Amino acid sequence: MTQPETLLQVRNLKKYFPIRGGIFGKKVGDIKAVDNVSFTVNKGETLGIVGESGCGKSTTGRSILRLEEPTAGEVEFEDSLLNELNGEEMRRMRRKLQMVFQDPFASLNPRKTAGAIIEEPLTVHGIGEARERKEKVKELLQVVGLDAYHAERYPHQFSGGQRQRIGIARALAVRPKLVVADEPVSALDVSVQSQVLNLLEDLQEKFGLTYLFIAHDLSVVRHISDRVGVMYLGRMVELAERDTLYDNPLHPYTQALLSAVPVPNPDAERERIILTGDVPSPSDPPAGCAFHTRCPYVMDICREKRPEFQDQGDGHFVACHLMDE
Amino acid sequence: MAETLLELSRFKMHFHTDKGVVKAVDGVDITVDEGEIVGLVGESGCGKSVTSLSVMGLVPQPPGKVEGGSIKLSGRDLTRLKRKEWQRVRGNEVAMIFQEPMTSLNPVFTLGNQMVEAIRQHKEINKKEARQLARETLQEVGISRDGILDEYPHQLSGGMRQRVMIAMAMVCRPKLLIADEPTTALDVTIQAQILDLMRRLNRETNTAILMITHDLGVVAEMCDRIIVMYAGQVVEETDARRLFRNPQHPYTIGLLKSIPQLDRRLERLYSIPGNVPNPRQMPSGCRFVPRCEHALDICREKEPPLFSLEDGHTSRCWLNAEEKEEADRDTTGNTAPSS
Ligand SMILES: Nc1ncnc2c1ncn2[C@@H]1O[C@H](COP(=O)(O)OP(=O)(O)OP(=O)(O)O)[C@@H](O)[C@H]1O
Ligand SMILES: Nc1ncnc2c1ncn2[C@@H]1O[C@H](COP(=O)(O)OP(=O)(O)OP(=O)(O)O)[C@@H](O)[C@H]1O
Ligand code: SF4
Ligand code: SF4
Ligand SMILES: [Mg+2]
Ligand SMILES: [Mg+2]
Repeated sequence: MTQPETLLQVRNLKKYFPIRGGIFGKKVGDIKAVDNVSFTVNKGETLGIVGESGCGKSTTGRSILRLEEPTAGEVEFEDSLLNELNGEEMRRMRRKLQMVFQDPFASLNPRKTAGAIIEEPLTVHGIGEARERKEKVKELLQVVGLDAYHAERYPHQFSGGQRQRIGIARALAVRPKLVVADEPVSALDVSVQSQVLNLLEDLQEKFGLTYLFIAHDLSVVRHISDRVGVMYLGRMVELAERDTLYDNPLHPYTQALLSAVPVPNPDAERERIILTGDVPSPSDPPAGCAFHTRCPYVMDICREKRPEFQDQGDGHFVACHLMDE
Repeated sequence: MAETLLELSRFKMHFHTDKGVVKAVDGVDITVDEGEIVGLVGESGCGKSVTSLSVMGLVPQPPGKVEGGSIKLSGRDLTRLKRKEWQRVRGNEVAMIFQEPMTSLNPVFTLGNQMVEAIRQHKEINKKEARQLARETLQEVGISRDGILDEYPHQLSGGMRQRVMIAMAMVCRPKLLIADEPTTALDVTIQAQILDLMRRLNRETNTAILMITHDLGVVAEMCDRIIVMYAGQVVEETDARRLFRNPQHPYTIGLLKSIPQLDRRLERLYSIPGNVPNPRQMPSGCRFVPRCEHALDICREKEPPLFSLEDGHTSRCWLNAEEKEEADRDTTGNTAPSS
């Protein structure tokens, strides 16, 4: 096997949002949305990121693309450190880094036609003459399975699945290397969801794309990903090759999460781990291991010391003190 | 055998809008027996919520209009109830919880206030007794922290709010609880808690549950029987096991094939071509015909009735015609409106 080539490397990424209070709006604390997260994405693969609402998935994606300025940490893409690029350099870099959003309706300008929406990034990056761009738009519509006449239509004239296709066509217009897809199928019905998932897979093959695929649906993530990372309260708690993670999860949170997913098979015999309580607030995460307030295996050390995110062999990373035993 | 609690027969609720008539619920047959958990599944816009709101008498009329059929609860036709009579039915006999509990809680009143108010609408007890009952009901749903009754809705997490809604719905021990996507807005670990709670209430109080969701995993785990809706109609109904093992309707089959699996990875997902039809322009004949791989000539011409297969399994598809007799509950015939 050839060694996979690293496309993106995220090191100790942090993104804190200030909490302001009092009449002077003084900073009174931080929401630790992303709290020291490290991982790599290999060229041509899909890295899935899962976790419950508010665990920092979107903020991780946005901080990588510098749609949010990271509080600390480094993001290395190809040979550049993204966090050191100036405005103009970053603008040019964006051509290689595109994003697809969850809500196909909110992310498309309602007053522009589908054609204009897809053409926009080409114009922004000064790619091609007007005529070439129109050709390109037609080609892109075809690639995502829409007809050329759709270029003249407005977002409200499309169904949810079709709008998501337009969002994908827009992201692909500039031939990016990395696509960060943030819940791209979450708003879609199952029958349409599978159309979009298949499309994403086909496009990956055709254009050699690399995906960072963010979602809370664990079944969808298993389907599309090569490797999967699990986040909890701003931290990456486990990351492994897809089947390893689903068939042999090591972190207690991953185990509970997987066991909680209802499966569409009434004959499935499953042992369910029902966690008690809610996810704590990211403005005041528990000391030590952030999961210790809900963990069925909690030990004394867990309340004091934050477990390191360590490779347990074969690239199976886990942050849990049980691994030291 | 358990008694029939809820029975919708050929029920139709249409909306008359400026742009045309939306046949949101168009000849639906549903029964729920006492103590049973029945799942109602289908994609966005197929009429699940309108069906359940109709049972609660909560569809605004106009623009809504009952165009035919009946809804019987313990034998009484709800479509004929007067405004005042609804007060007695709602809460006492049938209660409902929604996807977003925040919309049904008033942000400016404490939980205690709202619960006492709700309880006293249905029970003739004083405030102190009502408060005590509120506290007990909250304990039943797993909320026992001190001072909870003095808290405001925004102080609770989504899962806690849904528990409060369930508590409020259960206060008067209704015979039927309608849950419209009760866990869709919740995280999976919290969803597991709420589903667990609902199962326990069903066992302990024998309250029947009509569970509305688009999540086939949720119905597989919760329900005795499953009803699949498509474009305002029931297309298939059978017990949970059978639906997953031996689905009959091409839409159900397609739906089941298109969901990614948690326990194994399929090479490629199946996908049903096309989109759900525009409710103002339903295709003639079978409503699934533009997306169906098995369509026959008759499918374009004539709407299929619900065919009865064995063991109470029904399917609205011409492919089932040769095999089985047409169900007597044929819903295609235009029955006279019940008013
Ligand atoms: N601009 C912001 N200002 C303040 N707090 C923020 C901001 N953006 C996100 N947060 C907070 O950071 C945390 C992580 O949010 P994020 O959106 O990354 O979560 P997520 O995992 O994507 O959740 P979801 O599944 O709900 O999309 C949350 O507590 C959120 O409230
Ligand atoms: N007040 C109304 N006026 C006009 N049309 C309506 C009204 N309420 C619902 N509808 C239409 O009725 C149809 C069925 O809607 P309903 O809310 O029952 O769908 P649903 O199956 O619950 O979908 P979802 O899964 O998205 O909740 C839809 O086409 C909807 O647009
Ligand atoms: S470190 Fe401790 S509390 Fe955290 S997951 Fe491991 S055992 Fe549980
Ligand atoms: S009736 Fe015809 S079109 Fe409709 S589902 Fe059956 S085979 Fe398909
Ligand atoms: Mg998000
Ligand atoms: Mg609904």
